[in-house]
Order: sequence, then C-alpha cells, then structure tokens
Amino acid sequence: MITNMAIIETSGLTKKFNDLVAVDEMTLSIDREIFGLLGPNGSGKTTTVKMLTTLLTPTSGEATVCGHSVTAQPSKVRDRISYVPQDMAVDMKLTGRENVIFFANLYGIPRPRETADEALTQMDLASRADDMVKTYSGGMRRRLELAQALVHDPEVLFLDEPTIGLDVAGRRKIWEHIISLKNGGMTVFVTTHYMDEADHACGRVGIIDKGKIVALDTPAALKSLHCHEIIAIRGEGEYKGTVVPDVTFIGKTGDELRFQAISGEDSGIPLLRALNESGMKIHSFVIRQPTLDDVFLSLIEEQEETMAFDHHRFRTMLRRRA
Amino acid sequence: MKRTFTYMERDLRRWIRGRINVITSLVMPAAWLIFVGLALPIRFTDNYLDFITPGILVLTMLGASLQGGALLMFDKILGFLQKFLAMPAPRETILFGKILFITCRGLIQTTIILVIALILGAHLLNPVFLLQTYLILFIFGVLLSSIMTTVALSLEDHDSYAAFNSMIAMPLFFTSSALMPYDQMPGWLEVLARLNPVSYAIDAIRSMQEGIFPATTIVGLLIGAVVVLSACIITFRRATV
Repeated sequence: MITNMAIIETSGLTKKFNDLVAVDEMTLSIDREIFGLLGPNGSGKTTTVKMLTTLLTPTSGEATVCGHSVTAQPSKVRDRISYVPQDMAVDMKLTGRENVIFFANLYGIPRPRETADEALTQMDLASRADDMVKTYSGGMRRRLELAQALVHDPEVLFLDEPTIGLDVAGRRKIWEHIISLKNGGMTVFVTTHYMDEADHACGRVGIIDKGKIVALDTPAALKSLHCHEIIAIRGEGEYKGTVVPDVTFIGKTGDELRFQAISGEDSGIPLLRALNESGMKIHSFVIRQPTLDDVFLSLIEEQEETMAFDHHRFRTMLRRRA
Repeated sequence: MKRTFTYMERDLRRWIRGRINVITSLVMPAAWLIFVGLALPIRFTDNYLDFITPGILVLTMLGASLQGGALLMFDKILGFLQKFLAMPAPRETILFGKILFITCRGLIQTTIILVIALILGAHLLNPVFLLQTYLILFIFGVLLSSIMTTVALSLEDHDSYAAFNSMIAMPLFFTSSALMPYDQMPGWLEVLARLNPVSYAIDAIRSMQEGIFPATTIVGLLIGAVVVLSACIITFRRATV
C-alpha cells in the first residue's frame, strides 16, 4: 500500500455499455472530505459509484480505494467501505436493532449487539431500536441505513442520493450526520441532485455531464470561477439571442432567462433595454449572487427540453447496471 | 458458512413475521391430503393416505421451492443485493443463504404436513424412515430451489417469473408418481412420470416405506443437486458482476 495515496484515486476510469460511454476517462483524487458528484440523470454518477464500490468492472482505467485496486483487490476494498444505494433497502418486518445486528453479523463484528447499539445511538435511533422498521419515517429509515453502514467503522462511505425523497427536516438531519462523520476522519463520496445541499456540505464537488467531469473544485471556487453576478429576468416573448457587452446568456428555466455579468448593476439596464427592443415584455428583474445551481446549469448541456426521453435506452442502462 | 446462516436467519425472521404467508403456503398441500387423500375411492391400495403422503410431502417442498426462487430477485429489485454485494462477505454466501432458507422453510412446512398426515391416520412413525425422508426432501429442496433461483436470476422481472412458475407447477405435480403408481398410469403418462425429477423424490420415500434404502435414487438426486447448484453459482456470478 502506498501511503501518500489519496483515499480514493481514479485514473482514466471508463465504463462503456456497448456504444454508450457511461463514464469517460474520469480522473479524481479524494481524501478525507465530503466529495459531491453532481450531474443530471443518466450522467454517470451511479455508474461511477458502482465501479468504486466494486459492483461494476471498469472497461478501462484504474481506481483505488484505500490503496487497493477495485479490480485486482475488490474484497480488500469492500473491507474498508460502506455503500448506501439510492433505493431505501431496509427490512420492514425486522426491528431497527435487528436490521443493524444483521449487518454487524455479516461484517463479522465480534460484539454485534453492542456495536449495533452504538451505531443506532450515533444515528439518534436508540429510542426506536426495538420498533419494527415499517413504523419508521423516511428520514429514520435512511438513518438506519447509515447505522448499518457504520457498524464496521468504514474508512470510506459511498452515498447515492442520500436525501432523495426526504422532507426538509429529514434532509438536514442526514447532512448533520454526514458532516459529523467527515469530522471524525471519514471520507464521504456522495452523489446528489440537490445543489444547495452540496454547496452547504461538500468540501469539493465534481460536476459530471455525459460521463465526463466538466468542473471540479470547492463550491465557492466554482461559483466565483464560472459565474459572476446573475441577472434573472422573467418576461413574455421569445429570447432572440440579444447580447450586450459584458453579459452572457447562461440558460432558461421555464419563463426565467438567466444571464451572468461582471456587474449586474452596470449591465442590467442596458440588457433590459436590449430585450425590450427585441420585442420581449419584461415582468421582473433580479440581480443576485450565483448559486451552485447557476454553475451547474451553465456547465450542463440542456437536456430535457431538447431531448425526448429515450425509454428503451433508459431500460437498457438500468438492466445493465442492476 | 457463518454468513450463510446469517442470511438464512434474516429470511427466516421475515417469513415467520409474515404470518399470513406461513399459513397460506400450507393450505394447498393440506387440502390435497384431506380432500384427495381421504376422499378419493381408490382400489389399487388399502390405505391411499399412506400412498399419497410422500407425494404431498414432495409437493409441499415443490411449492416452497417455486415460491422461494423469487426471493433473490426481490432482493435485487428492492436494492438489498447491491448492499450485500458491496460487503466483504463472500458473495456466494448470499446465494447459499437463500437456497438454505428456501429448503429449510420447505422442511418446516413438510413437518407440519407430516403431522397432519399422522393425525389423519398415516402410518409413518418409524424414526429411521423419517430421518431418511428428511434427507431426501433436503436434497430435493436444494435441487429445486437452485433450479428456480437460476430461472429467477435469468429472467428480467417478477411477472415473467410468476408466469414461468404457474406454467410448470401443476404439470410437474400431475406428471409425477404422486397420485398413482406407474402400473396404473396410461403409457404416455408413465414415460413423463419416469422422467420427472419430482417422481424420483416421491419414489425414494415410497421405497423407504417398503423398507428398501433407495441409494441409486438418492445419489442421482444428489448429483442433480450439485450440477444445478453449480449452474446456479455461475448464473449468480454473471448476474452480479
């Protein structure tokens, strides 16, 4: 084992499903941080996680986790990681404690019951440990999955969309736990759709589009590098590509047009005037600081509006990934 | 091996807590035993209940195995399998745990059916006979649950599995030697019955009723179980990499 290696390293990591390149030459280095992989649906997030957790074999390239190759030493990798997939998979007919003891036994922990109780306490589930999981809320079930994942004290935790489908309070609580795990020295690799959560919790984020990493840095650096001030305009009429100096069009969501400008204050009025002259009727106009959403939308090619949902391709991908 | 039992224990707890499933799976074989075993006017034997009981025991194991094949498929569909595969325990223990659970669940169900048969008046209380019967049912359970798990792993969804299941369940039973001896069958049925693996298990239990130890049949079933289990391991490895 090479000691100066980062906890997770990938080099030219690629996964192809026939002619579909799901992950394309990914090179990453992640070490004792919360790393967020952000990307639209089908961009290769889950495929990346599955390769790093030894569930899928890469087509080419290499990845190491804790110094062990995911292809040459998969069982050593599995010894040091935990993986919580997107689907919430906990046994409803077992109690919370039974669910965690089951995992402790699978990991071969010497004192399964005591270790399970510690993990349940850590996840604030001790008071409900003897209740059937079917009575748990979504947030509690996700925390139970975290307790299962923590029972063997992994060095790396892979979380695929950990807060999907949870209410705001549940999401906040999950992130509090993830942050405290990172503060305890754990490396957390997380995929998410929620930019505000990634902005708040992740040390660094990678934005992935069509299998390629298109941006990789801290949320603050990405915001300052990729976006200046944002001018958001709502109005009627078709946007005809009007441009004014120092202003760049970065995207459209619904009836909102978004532009970035070095100074929103200086460029706002000329932009409004130009849009009016092009025939648009403006209803509202806001200048704000960029969010990770803006960075994401400026980097990701617009998909939903231009591409129809390819159900056959979607099913093929799911089948191959499962 | 310990992990195999851990996986089995999980399924056992879940099954026992789903009380309805425990009872419903016993209704069909119990109904056969009562309504056919006691009511059918049969001339080729004095005690039809004694004749049909081995068939019903094997039918119970058959039902348990057919029902159990989908368990691994559900673990896959519901996301459990991904978690298990990312754990350091040898991956094959997931499969062995499942097959062991399906077989043991079948043995529990056959025990209940056996008790009902005894209450109804069957003469099956010889301990050596019972031990050998369990041995045959265990090997048969491993054979059939391996077949059904392989089928489930090869099919894409539960609907296809359910369709396959209902397609083979009754034909397998009716073309076996469960309900009548070979010399009472029409010629075409006898050919099918002699090819049917369900008949092997039933015939082996009947031989033991007559005091003959069916070594050849048991070895045949054992070889079949090993071959199918090997095929199942290969299918499982292909489906999970």
